[in-house]
Amino acid sequence: MAVTAESLKELEKKQAWWWIAEKKRSRRLDYLRKAVWKKGAIGGLYPAGLIVDLERPVLQTEKARELESSADPYVIKFAKILAHVLDNKTIFITDHSQLVGYLGSTPNTITWDPSLASILNHEVINDPQCLPEPLDDSLRTIKDIVNYWAGKSDLDKILPYMDLDDSMKILSGAIGWGVPLARGGYSGKDYEYIMTGKRAFEDIIAELDRRIDDAYAKAHEPSASKEISNLYDKINNWEAMKITLEAGIRYAKRYARLARIIAENFETDPARREELLKIARTCEHVPAKPPRDLQESLQYDLFIQLFSRNEAIEGAWPARPDYYHGPYYEKDVNVDRVLTEEEALDLVGEFLIRAYEVSQYKPKWSREGLQGIEGTWVWTLGGVKPDGSDACNGMTIALLKAARLVRVSNPTFAFRWHPKVSDEVMRECFECIRQGLGYPSMRNDPVLVANAMHWHGHPIEEARTWVHQACMSPAPTTKHGFQPMRMANATANTAKIIEYVFTSGYDNIVNMQIGAETPPVETFKSYEEFFQAWVTQMKHVFSLVVRPVNRGRMLAPTLTPRPFLSAVSERSVESGLDVNDPSISRGNAWITAFTWVENIDSLAAVKKLVFDEKKYTLAELKEALANNWEGREEMRLDFVRNAPKWGNDDDYVDSIMLDCLREAAKFSRELKCPSGNSWPILPENVSGNIHYANVVGALPNGRRLGDALYDGGISPGPGLDKKGPTAVLNSCAKIDHITHGRAFLLNQRLSPTQMAGEKGYQLCKAYMKTWADLGIDHVQFNCVSDETLRAAQRDPEKYPELIVRVAGYSAHFVDISRKTQDNIIQRTVQGLA
Amino acid sequence: MPTCKECKKFFPLEEDPKKGDCVQRVVDPRQAFYQAKPVEADRNAASCPSFEKR
Repeated sequence: MAVTAESLKELEKKQAWWWIAEKKRSRRLDYLRKAVWKKGAIGGLYPAGLIVDLERPVLQTEKARELESSADPYVIKFAKILAHVLDNKTIFITDHSQLVGYLGSTPNTITWDPSLASILNHEVINDPQCLPEPLDDSLRTIKDIVNYWAGKSDLDKILPYMDLDDSMKILSGAIGWGVPLARGGYSGKDYEYIMTGKRAFEDIIAELDRRIDDAYAKAHEPSASKEISNLYDKINNWEAMKITLEAGIRYAKRYARLARIIAENFETDPARREELLKIARTCEHVPAKPPRDLQESLQYDLFIQLFSRNEAIEGAWPARPDYYHGPYYEKDVNVDRVLTEEEALDLVGEFLIRAYEVSQYKPKWSREGLQGIEGTWVWTLGGVKPDGSDACNGMTIALLKAARLVRVSNPTFAFRWHPKVSDEVMRECFECIRQGLGYPSMRNDPVLVANAMHWHGHPIEEARTWVHQACMSPAPTTKHGFQPMRMANATANTAKIIEYVFTSGYDNIVNMQIGAETPPVETFKSYEEFFQAWVTQMKHVFSLVVRPVNRGRMLAPTLTPRPFLSAVSERSVESGLDVNDPSISRGNAWITAFTWVENIDSLAAVKKLVFDEKKYTLAELKEALANNWEGREEMRLDFVRNAPKWGNDDDYVDSIMLDCLREAAKFSRELKCPSGNSWPILPENVSGNIHYANVVGALPNGRRLGDALYDGGISPGPGLDKKGPTAVLNSCAKIDHITHGRAFLLNQRLSPTQMAGEKGYQLCKAYMKTWADLGIDHVQFNCVSDETLRAAQRDPEKYPELIVRVAGYSAHFVDISRKTQDNIIQRTVQGLA
Repeated sequence: MPTCKECKKFFPLEEDPKKGDCVQRVVDPRQAFYQAKPVEADRNAASCPSFEKR
């Protein structure tokens, strides 16, 4: 079909957004988008055609062996191993690309870092589906690597210093997930230091040299003190930082050399030859020196992200690309006019594709919890500058346009809405939502800036720099405010709180005492007593997931250092301390509260049917839950149908939500991170509601073991919000989105038919105004019809590019489990009036 | 015994001709690309399936 306005209109009517994108984008973007190997796991397994890259672990292991007898301290050895990988790994340049760099040796590889955790290494050796052929050779190589790192990996080193009781409960998989490692989680970056064009690697190396020289001189003065003793550690840290930066510069120059070799020896097309020479000039310049144009700025950012991921598994991608690349976009497109908008879109679109292809081998529980994606690359757009003025720029619009052209499910965007955002930008956001991307999610900037100040004491100018640390939680990008590592195991499967009230803390799924030993539930004489048991279990569960993270964070600087991330962080370059050292961080911790709303609906059901109406006793209910409601279907339906449900603007249940959040918020102030700051909760799910379906027992809201849990942080249960979108918003608005927690995830479904055209935009705008006026901090939309989703279930091969919003991320519909698909379809489609 | 430096795909480093890159064109099921892998000039290439005499 030729690209005509009529044909595009026809496709639009069919909501065939993928085909529209294909027709609208440039030939280069079309090639690159189709060339990319999709890495997100399907049902916990990596897609066919992907292989685990053995080159990197072989390089790591050979260098580690070589350094075993060296007198270098660990941090230096670690930096040398990283440099060895960067110096010797295979690199490649894809046809038509303008940006270069990938973690693996070929585009279809998943990189594996064997130095992280032996339990991960054992997963690799037992995952023959994605091992390179010949399998026997691979297994021999892997066995050697696995044996070498046994007892030497980060987790092996950390575990002996952790509390065994807490560790066993976490590792049971019932209550939380993740491990307390500084090289496995969500790494923020000090973008204000590294991405503002004021400095690059060579400047930092010069600064490190100065500090090493000064410290060396001071350490050899005729004196002795604790400070002088500490200098030796600092010098080692600075030396390690320097090794990684120098390796980064050499790595970029390897790309420059390859680009020149291709241009001078192989390429026959003069235009492509010129592009290759531009790649060469770019990689000769960045990351050594600050970028001069948009291509260099994007390339510089990409290198930093890749180096950081060569150092650690990063499950998120905190970023604010419009804010930091915006000045270069403006200069190239609008001032110097060296790039047309279309040429800039090619670069921006490719930047999204380069992020989409990043992959690191992760444990199966993580792949199941993040179905269809590699990690929560939630990039932050919009917002305000430190002085409070609108930060949107041409790059904001370019990113939103590029997203519709390349339609990747990862990265996604989250937009910092504020009253000064222009209509032009809002329309671009709306177009992305209307075209079914599921992003940007909308964030209420004034509320979240105030929230960052309230919970963690970030000064207003720093709070205004915030980016999404993962799916939802804001973190500044400043010297003391940025969060170098958010360890994922401060994630609580909170439906267990209400479950444990009925079992006195004993977990019948994993057969161990995990919760608090509260009195037998049948002994409670009032709802207040029952609720106090809930509070006790809540405190127990939250403490359990926080303690290992605190401990891991304190052990991190010595046992699991991050020399590269330190090298691009002002506080470490200045202090000589590892970036994870709590003494140089303000603290920005939070507890992710998965499966939160089950507590609210369950408490409401108990209050109404047991204590108010006295239809059932707690003993009866306890027995029914223990038997997974078997033989008590009528009773179960009573709990489903006749107990009030969150999300219907019903004060009976909504007040219970507030009671729970107030108790959690109060306790959040008692829980302290190693920097001395609070641990607020953040209710949300990724695909945790499906992952935990077989881990959470029957609950008083009528749920049975195995049923999907609710999908959002404060979203009503699927199909349980009966009173329309305003009632949902009214319920959510009763929460204080500044003081009750760090953020609250709200999923909503809109009708694509209703969103069509100008009328659709005006409806959406009115909805957003209500949402903003009510002070709700988050909302995100699925805008794909039931008809399309069911057709995709029937004929998945016809819908390979259909994207949906799962929870804090988007995914291709066909890459998520049937249970998750059904859960999305069950969500109420809100008709906007 | 053939060595890498005798191969068409070997590109020596200017600063150290004993080292270089093996540069190859690869076409996988989704994309085409050029790849470079560091090699020693004097490495034995007898069993290299990509060796092409210069």
